[in-house]
Amino acid sequence: MPATSDSTTLSRRSFLIRSGWLAVGVTTLSSCTLVRSIVPTLPSIDDPELENGLSWVQALPDGRVRFFCPRMEMGQGAPLGLGQVVAEELNLDQTDIECVLPNTSQTPPFKMTVGSEGIASFFDPVSYGAAHLREALRNLAATKTGLPADQIQDGKGGFVLPDGSELGYARVVPSEPLILPVSGAPASGETVPRYTVQCRGKYQAIGRNWRHHELQAIVTGETVYSRDVTLPGMLYGQIVRPPAFGARLQSADGRVAEAMADVAAVVIDTANDFVGVVTGDPFILSESIAAIDLRWELPKGPDQDQIDATLDVEQLRAEDDFEHMLAADGSVEAGRDNARHRVAARYDTPFAAHAAMEPRASVAWVKNDKVEVWCGSQDPFFVQRRVAKAIGREEGDVVVHPHRMGGGFGGRIPCRASEEAALLSAEVSRPVRVQWDREAEFQCNYFQPGFSHFIDAGVTPEGTISHWEHEFVSAPIMTGPMPEDIAWVVDQVMADEGTARGGLPRYRMANRRIRYSDIRTAVPVGAWRGLGSAPNTFAIESMIDELAIAAGIDALEFRLRILPPTDEILIGVLHRVAETSEWSVPTLPDTGRGIACAVYKDETAVAIVAEVRIDHAARQLQVSNIWCAQDCGLVVNPRQVEAQIVGNVIWGCSMALKERISFEAGATVQSNFDSYEILRNHEAPEVNVALVSRPDTAPAAVGESAFAPVPAAIANAVFAATGHRARRLPMHYDSIYSDANG
Amino acid sequence: MQMEINGKTMTAPNKFRDVALLDFIRDFAGLKGTKFGCGAGLCGACTVHIDGKAARSCQLSVADAVGRRVTTIEGLAATAPTGELHPLQEIWIQVAVPQCGYCQPGQIMTAAALLNHNPDPSDTEIRAEMSGNLCRCGTYPRIRQAVAQAAKESKNASNL
Repeated sequence: MPATSDSTTLSRRSFLIRSGWLAVGVTTLSSCTLVRSIVPTLPSIDDPELENGLSWVQALPDGRVRFFCPRMEMGQGAPLGLGQVVAEELNLDQTDIECVLPNTSQTPPFKMTVGSEGIASFFDPVSYGAAHLREALRNLAATKTGLPADQIQDGKGGFVLPDGSELGYARVVPSEPLILPVSGAPASGETVPRYTVQCRGKYQAIGRNWRHHELQAIVTGETVYSRDVTLPGMLYGQIVRPPAFGARLQSADGRVAEAMADVAAVVIDTANDFVGVVTGDPFILSESIAAIDLRWELPKGPDQDQIDATLDVEQLRAEDDFEHMLAADGSVEAGRDNARHRVAARYDTPFAAHAAMEPRASVAWVKNDKVEVWCGSQDPFFVQRRVAKAIGREEGDVVVHPHRMGGGFGGRIPCRASEEAALLSAEVSRPVRVQWDREAEFQCNYFQPGFSHFIDAGVTPEGTISHWEHEFVSAPIMTGPMPEDIAWVVDQVMADEGTARGGLPRYRMANRRIRYSDIRTAVPVGAWRGLGSAPNTFAIESMIDELAIAAGIDALEFRLRILPPTDEILIGVLHRVAETSEWSVPTLPDTGRGIACAVYKDETAVAIVAEVRIDHAARQLQVSNIWCAQDCGLVVNPRQVEAQIVGNVIWGCSMALKERISFEAGATVQSNFDSYEILRNHEAPEVNVALVSRPDTAPAAVGESAFAPVPAAIANAVFAATGHRARRLPMHYDSIYSDANG
Repeated sequence: MQMEINGKTMTAPNKFRDVALLDFIRDFAGLKGTKFGCGAGLCGACTVHIDGKAARSCQLSVADAVGRRVTTIEGLAATAPTGELHPLQEIWIQVAVPQCGYCQPGQIMTAAALLNHNPDPSDTEIRAEMSGNLCRCGTYPRIRQAVAQAAKESKNASNL
């Protein structure tokens, strides 16, 4: 029976009034409305609770269902898959669902869209909310027809009555907005059947290759990304970008710019290093910015060699100075004595940029009673808090309207363009648009930090791992964007899990010691697809290959031998990729194959085989084929999952072969796609995807799972083709022969 | 200054001579389907057709387009003989090429120009021609599949 308290009803009702129609009552909002007033503005980090799902579905008077999708869309397609979950519970077709990216006034806050959690973590709460809505509608139908609820059967888009007549939702939903009571409080255990959980094997929507409802708008150019937002009376803003991290504005003289025709405002806030212009003509922005006379105090560095010296694993080894112990079992020293084959090697991966195709943009309109912001962000509620703080307004005054993003990859948790647009709009009381250019994207966002690894390992006479001593250093990733005033405290007490992600091998290792340090440098770092998983997997899976070769054992056979037999998901994908790639078939000259595998976040198993061709005449290496086998549990939409896997594979190739950002005097050396290259179409391999499907299991992470083993698989393939070991990314034809010592 | 954009004559004030054609298309003509990606002719997101040939609109000025026929993604369907969508747009949906979708208008414009001058491209030719259009989501294999399929379908249709 209703477990809804007055206060939460009020709160829920306020969302309802603003946003919609018939919804099911919520039992508690406390976990999501809690405001963290004692700490600085932080991203939204609370995992979803089952009952949060009640806020995300509404039945509309026309019988359709509005789904306020609690995951932002950046190409991964979580709204598509979660829509299929809604459809399964409510017996709907795709066209019966109105999928909305909610603005911040339409639902209680939800977690930022990160970590490949879209389906994995939101499947359950979304299905819970949709199932409760269905049962609430059934009760309403019972009241309407005078029949007991248990005689009202499910039908397409509604119910079927005992006499066989259909009663669509449209005839059940009242004309006035209404909150229905929830049957059964979550605390009492689940009382409402969830078809997504209980009807496995008999799905109607789950497991189908639905196409995203926005595809047509995308291919016709009608999709409105944040960069495309236009409002009546909108003005155009641009911000001066500091020339380096930590550059301080000494003075700015905007008089010339102010006098220019069509310049509405020049905003100078020296204390906050903020200079911007607002114009009525978008085509004079650069000119008016250039007319401002600026004096900067530039920091000394950071330069790449300073950063490399800080994040140098061999230096830390010499000092025996690692902050965190990830694993310590047996005795590495005793194990080393028992090694028949021993390999010790260093592996390095560089700093990297997100390089999403859409440079960020935002429109903000600061009014007396309300602030509205249009942007693309992985965390609209974080943008809401940051904008409120930037312009000194209450969070409740700020409404953020999220848009589909032109790529996210961890790089759009905050959207600084929104704060900048709000600061400018506050000056002119008109809507103001701020668009970053490509150079700003490269210079002004945060980065994936470089990693430096050293592994000393060996193989026993019996062909098992004798010892595994792995040390690595990078920067703190999850807490990377932490404000300076608390960062030092955080660094004292926290071992950064993001930096360590993927650092624990699944192989049997009786004697192992894995240590790492997460050292903050002057370069801003933060989430980048997969966090530490790809750099750590590169080192681990390269070393496993080196050990197999040292012991004269086939690389697949070696992995199967050293994995615990209980690791069925990883063994399963290894066998599968061996089949699809025909692993045992020998390769042609100047061609090599490499294998690598990993389990992402302890849930999604991936095995990769890469095939590399060496073109000595053109001095090029081409990744010609990649085979991937992935086990990510229940697959809601196979075609979308395949797209994500292919995207991961291409990203992995790009990381292995192309990407490196470096710094000079606090600025990025690379500022556009000529110097920061990402993989291009002609370089992209054919990708073969095999899904190892286990429909009786819960869905697992997909968005960033498949790429972690890709760079190691490529490096292993390069070794097979050339006899040279690439231990430093990115690798090129020339670097393979000059860097290598293997 | 006059040009034709998607079949309509557009008059640009003289003061916009040196404005990038991309900015003009987006902020004067109000056609937002053509995207800004790099501003340096490196990524292809801003690809339009000038007299039927693919061009990077961020590298052209308004003056460069005077007297020319400009087609943007919004006007592409009208260049096809029939249908609400251009055949490439249909196939792009069928294959579910887009992920974030931001680069896709540029990809489709490049692909359409490719098929205009080479109706039956080889895989190597598709790769070469599409190599100027970056995609960060990794849709390249599906782009190649869609272009090859479009070429095949058009060949089958013309053989009927």
